[in-house]
Amino acid sequence: MKFFTPFRKKSPWILHYNAGSCNGCDIEILAALGPKFDLERFGVINTGNPKQSDIFLVTGPVTYRSRERLVELYTQIPEPKVVVAVGSCTTTGGVFRGMYNVEDGIDRYIPVDVYIPGCASSPQLIIDALVKAGEILESKSKAIEKPFKLFGAIETIGNKLSRLNMAKKVHDDED
Amino acid sequence: MKKTIQIPLGSQHISLLEPIRFKFECENEKIIGVDADVGFVHRGVELACTRSFEFKQVGYVVARVCGLCAITHSLSYTLAVEKLLGYVANDRIKYLRMLMVELDRIHSHMLCLAHTAENAGFEALFMQIMGDRELVMEVQEAISGNRVQFDYISIGGVNRDLTSELVDLVRKNLTTLSEKMEILTGLFDNNWSLSLKYKGVGVLTLEDAYTYNALGPLARASGLATDVRAETSDFPYEALGYTMMLESTGDIHARNFVRLREIVNSIAICRNIVDNLPMGEIQEKVKGKPKGEEIVRIEAPRGELFYLVRGNGTNTLERVRIKTPTFSGIPAMMEVFKGSQYADAPAILASFDPCMSCTAK
Ligand code: SF4
Repeated sequence: MKFFTPFRKKSPWILHYNAGSCNGCDIEILAALGPKFDLERFGVINTGNPKQSDIFLVTGPVTYRSRERLVELYTQIPEPKVVVAVGSCTTTGGVFRGMYNVEDGIDRYIPVDVYIPGCASSPQLIIDALVKAGEILESKSKAIEKPFKLFGAIETIGNKLSRLNMAKKVHDDED
Repeated sequence: MKKTIQIPLGSQHISLLEPIRFKFECENEKIIGVDADVGFVHRGVELACTRSFEFKQVGYVVARVCGLCAITHSLSYTLAVEKLLGYVANDRIKYLRMLMVELDRIHSHMLCLAHTAENAGFEALFMQIMGDRELVMEVQEAISGNRVQFDYISIGGVNRDLTSELVDLVRKNLTTLSEKMEILTGLFDNNWSLSLKYKGVGVLTLEDAYTYNALGPLARASGLATDVRAETSDFPYEALGYTMMLESTGDIHARNFVRLREIVNSIAICRNIVDNLPMGEIQEKVKGKPKGEEIVRIEAPRGELFYLVRGNGTNTLERVRIKTPTFSGIPAMMEVFKGSQYADAPAILASFDPCMSCTAK
């Protein structure tokens, strides 16, 4: 859709998902959207709908139960899309690394474009990252991006996707 | 034919900061049954506290249970361990700890007010409150070095001192904030369109609050006088001007008002603290290993936070049990949903100020 491309550049919409974070980074995202840091001057709007989003903002080290939802949301975002990992625990697992119910960071499941360090990462860093993400979004094509793993819970979607040769299904017992 | 329809809310939704899933059983627009699923963010902090971390580190780990009331978590844990080690903090340390807890309460309540406003459809009010909230965040950043996860409290004291420039900053920002709070209070009290969304919506009666064990601002909005700050004597709250804020109607409006008045009260407490700060060391040596069992209760922004710590005289603890306010408040919350309109559900939910990462740990 050539028609929409210039608009997307000017106004990337974000989808925020909490994959088991402590809330610290989430409220910093809210603070960044607030009037002092004013992320909306870059045209960024927080949406709740993956189908309308361009940038996927993930916080949290990915808990056992949120990983399916994470992958599902990721596959629902239309290309081109950019994934931003907010906070230390999202990038590496951080303080939660090695706990029995967490998966040590999101890059085991979906490809990440921008990592933000910090526990909690400050609004300034989040703004920097989103500007960077906007640049990456411009340079990306419409080529389909796959998650690294899919799960049983989205089997029907998984089947449909695999017929399109988009994703390979990995069974739970692998990890 | 089935008369009711099921509407899910969550686990990912624009009005939710954190994943929680509700299944609303609706009859036309009216909710008649609710089912909640809260375990999406379970990470296993309790177990990790007793396996992979030493007791000196655990204070910083439990702070990551929740980003909003991080300081209350680390304070409760630290108090429990200090009691096990037989250490009593001096007055300066106590005052500094209280200062941070009250600042944290202010910012947490303001976030809740903002979030409730946003979910009820008042985007401009959300922006206004978030803008005012930055005054507190500035103070917190200046005192502790971080905006959200302070890591300010350690066993045997606090990690940074309050210098005179910081005291000036606290006074200046709190004065500005209390002026803004007056404007906000007037707005919440008199604005007609706010009253449509807030007054008489999501009512929790006093009996229900009592039966379902409501906590914190949720209970106080229904007139149930419960506040750990008044019940325990770990900190000199009474001497510093603490008063309990009670409302009687139990709707969203009352909950907002409890929060607004508590913010004003916390501002007064913070002022008293910086005016009467005693002299003394901010970090003292504490020797020994925790042995025995100790229970600590602290009033978090959302209600009573309960910690049980059991040690066996070694570096790692035997058990850390955390019972968070939202977890205890869930039955009362479920009760409020029944009978209200589906369209009000996000605003009602935000007015409880639920914290899922606390609940699931
Ligand atoms: S990086 Fe730190 S502050 Fe941010 S969500 Fe993770 S634990 Fe919380």
